[in-house]
Amino acid sequence: MKVYIYKIFERFWHWTQATSIFLLAITGFEIHGFYSLFGYKQAVIYHDRAAYGFITLIVFAIFWHFTTGEWRQYIPTMKFVKEQIDYYILGIFKGAEHPTNKLVYNKFNPLQRLIYLGLKIMVIPIMVFSGFAYMFFNYPNQTIELSGLGPVAAVHTMGAFFLVVFVIAHIYLTTTGHKPLTSIKAMVTGWEDMDEKEARAMVISEMKHGLQKTKAHLLTAKDQSKFLDEALAETENILGVKKENKFHDVIANSGAGYFKIDRSGHYVEVNKAWSNLYKFKKQEDAFGKHYSLSRSKEAFIELERSFNSVLKGETIEHGLVMRKCQDGSVGYHTITMTPWIADDQIVGVEGFILDIDPEYAAKMEWNVNDQKK
Amino acid sequence: MKKVIQVILVLLLPQIIVFVVVTNSFNTKHAAPSEPIMVNYITKKHQSTMKTVDHSKFEILQQEFKRPQDLTLACLSCHTERHKEVMVNNHWTWDRKEKLHGRDTISIGKKNILNNFCVGVGSNEKMCTKCHAGYGYNDKSFDFTKAENIDCIVCHDQTGLYEKVKGGMPKPGIDLNKIAQSVGKPEKDNCGSCHYLGGGGNNVKHGDLDSKMNDCTREIDVHMAKEGEDMSCTACHTTQNHKITGKLYALSSEDKNRVTCEQCHTDRPHHDKIIDNHSYRVACQTCHIPVYAKATPTKMIWDWSTAGRLDEDSMPITEKDAEGNVSYNGMKGTFVWDDHVIPEYYWFNGLADHFLITDTIKNIPVQMNSLAGSYKDKGIWAESKSVSKIWPVKVHRGKQPYDLVHKTLLLPKLWSEKKGDSAYWMDYNWANSLTAGMKYLHLPYSGKYGFVETEMYWPLNHQVSPADKALQCVDCHTAKPEGRLSKLNDFYLPGRNHFAMIDNIGLGLLIITLLGVAIHGGIRVVAKKKLNHD
Ligand code: HEM
Repeated sequence: MKVYIYKIFERFWHWTQATSIFLLAITGFEIHGFYSLFGYKQAVIYHDRAAYGFITLIVFAIFWHFTTGEWRQYIPTMKFVKEQIDYYILGIFKGAEHPTNKLVYNKFNPLQRLIYLGLKIMVIPIMVFSGFAYMFFNYPNQTIELSGLGPVAAVHTMGAFFLVVFVIAHIYLTTTGHKPLTSIKAMVTGWEDMDEKEARAMVISEMKHGLQKTKAHLLTAKDQSKFLDEALAETENILGVKKENKFHDVIANSGAGYFKIDRSGHYVEVNKAWSNLYKFKKQEDAFGKHYSLSRSKEAFIELERSFNSVLKGETIEHGLVMRKCQDGSVGYHTITMTPWIADDQIVGVEGFILDIDPEYAAKMEWNVNDQKK
Repeated sequence: MKKVIQVILVLLLPQIIVFVVVTNSFNTKHAAPSEPIMVNYITKKHQSTMKTVDHSKFEILQQEFKRPQDLTLACLSCHTERHKEVMVNNHWTWDRKEKLHGRDTISIGKKNILNNFCVGVGSNEKMCTKCHAGYGYNDKSFDFTKAENIDCIVCHDQTGLYEKVKGGMPKPGIDLNKIAQSVGKPEKDNCGSCHYLGGGGNNVKHGDLDSKMNDCTREIDVHMAKEGEDMSCTACHTTQNHKITGKLYALSSEDKNRVTCEQCHTDRPHHDKIIDNHSYRVACQTCHIPVYAKATPTKMIWDWSTAGRLDEDSMPITEKDAEGNVSYNGMKGTFVWDDHVIPEYYWFNGLADHFLITDTIKNIPVQMNSLAGSYKDKGIWAESKSVSKIWPVKVHRGKQPYDLVHKTLLLPKLWSEKKGDSAYWMDYNWANSLTAGMKYLHLPYSGKYGFVETEMYWPLNHQVSPADKALQCVDCHTAKPEGRLSKLNDFYLPGRNHFAMIDNIGLGLLIITLLGVAIHGGIRVVAKKKLNHD
């Protein structure tokens, strides 16, 4: 299951930062006197230039974080920190599941959040400021003058050790993903391979997010159909679910109800969620049934009209519709229907339904009625 | 395809960008190492060699001079006011007013200062004034107002024949007439006839002034090398109205009238910002005089306490070291010589103090002249108009007589024409020699003497090496004990200084992390195998 989690700039930034820090570290520790590699002078020149490059990158990254709202990924939380630690100390050995899932606005686990935030607002600024102090304020006839380089170098060296230790731990922890190379591949391609459960959680969170957006739009009661068009496309896009391979599986396991109806109007396939929403005991019970059973008389006419349009090749989205369940109760959902195509022929209709909270639905209906009056 | 481009964009582009940023020289001026920046200097090629005056055409110079003073008077008959300039110059006065660092202004000069070579001039004048720019300075009664006693030709002779003997008189039999007609601007050997030979022999004192520099290679001195600019002393020690620039911190103590590299090379001559910045705190000499005494050995140690060994004929014994340098002389004691010497390094801001014969010894070794400066002496903390810079210094170490009771240095009377006059070099009796020396100065002496260790500091300026021989970064930026600055420890120097605690904690953390990763990873691998098994 692959999900798109790292945008292109983010990946570019990550690898540039990685290279810069690597270079700064090896030249820095040569300057520190641990070994000789480039030659002292060359090390100093490289370190200074890499520092300027690094600073430039940081400026771009700050801009990116704020314009995309990605900075929210780093809002610290103590929730699940303990679980995350327990996971690394114990759970991981027993094959336990990751205690948190990657969600749209939460692609890092709480430990990652804390540590990356620490890097961003403490370690890196400290390195930058001590580094530039090191570069500029060590000689006289400058604006600010240090009484000596000792304190600056001490801070800078401590930070350097910390960064190196971080990098090592960081690289190791990338192997704790779905598969050992998963995380690194994700940072290269943007698509992270997740296990089904995690992917499902991600998808659901994406959907929830999408629905919340939908709700907000619906509440304005303006231009809904166009919006829903976009919402669907966007959901597919954001979900980053690769339709060609696993879309079906996602749907099968997701909270969205999936259905497939042949030209004659009989269900040939529904997923678990669908049969749950319609309160069938088993999925199979729905097979062969005509779709008319799911609607009231009036609603059926409307549905039939849509059904026929889809058979002609249209894609139809309904806002809120009411369904008649097997046990006689009613529920609300939105529905999307697209032609089911096999061998270049429209052989039926497929689509999915997203359940809507009845209370909300009631409110909606009331609103709509209100408007009609 | 799109995917491949993305991967390249994401993985390769960063490496390329960082590589370009790091290897490109857009933020450092590019070095053209062989060509240092130069101002205020006309190269030899463009100098005019035309003589404007031919002194052999002057009738007054065509006489047989009976006395050297007659020659001086002949000079002054045309150069009517020049004697006034010379008579305030310390080549004549051997004395000047200087403010000692942290102390009062006093009269100080060759006349009254002590060193740790031949100790002092007092009572030995006749011997020492061989290098006085005058005639007849035999004792302290010399008349410094008598212009005819000025020795013009020691500086202006161009025959190379001139030589001075005791009391500063010309060597008997010298052709003063020929010399008088040859006069011109001082050349290397005019200055060198005294300055090369300080301390009683070639290159003994300075270590960076050697008669071989009259005709030397670039390896020895890039400025004075025959094959290069072949610069004379006065090219740097510019002189007007007999005011000679430059001074020696064996005698001076104020930050004035200095000759600097910057006067021709500017303070940013390298085409390289990082190196140029070093000149804020590092004297040019530090990197560019990596070793001194390159052509002839110089004296590093002079121990008077062993002097006095005589042979059966009561003549002073001499011994030589493996290189043929005199390592013992019964008249003077034990010597240690060295060549291609690595300088010692000190902070120096142009101010100095001197140990006067009236000063009480508080520290041993006694510092004959102490160079002021420290790391902290810069910017808002600076105590002179120039910040302290790291300087290469020749340190001459000695052991010389002092008063066991008064704790002062003592001046021996060394020289006399005859025996029985208390001169050490005649009678080899310290007690008499020291009594006579101190009596000559009217200074107290308890009669009890010993020998005390002394140090004298000679900031190096000459024998600049070719650029490719200059010190490299790691000569100083290293923690190795042989690092050039390993003893200059009052500041944090990158690459040399470490905070042991930070390093230990840092490396400890690193090891713990690596171990942690290995252990954690190991357990994971094992655990996974087991899980798969079950
Ligand atoms: C923008 C960020 C940085 C700047 C401006 C900077 C600047 C400097 C400067 C000016 C020096 C003194 C040597 C020289 O002149 O080149 C230095 C030393 C050093 N730097 Fe950086 N640096 C930065 C980032 C880093 C990073 C990220 C690391 C390590 C991961 C690092 C590690 C070191 C080390 C170990 C030293 C030697 C310290 C010593 O021994 O005194 N620096 N840095």
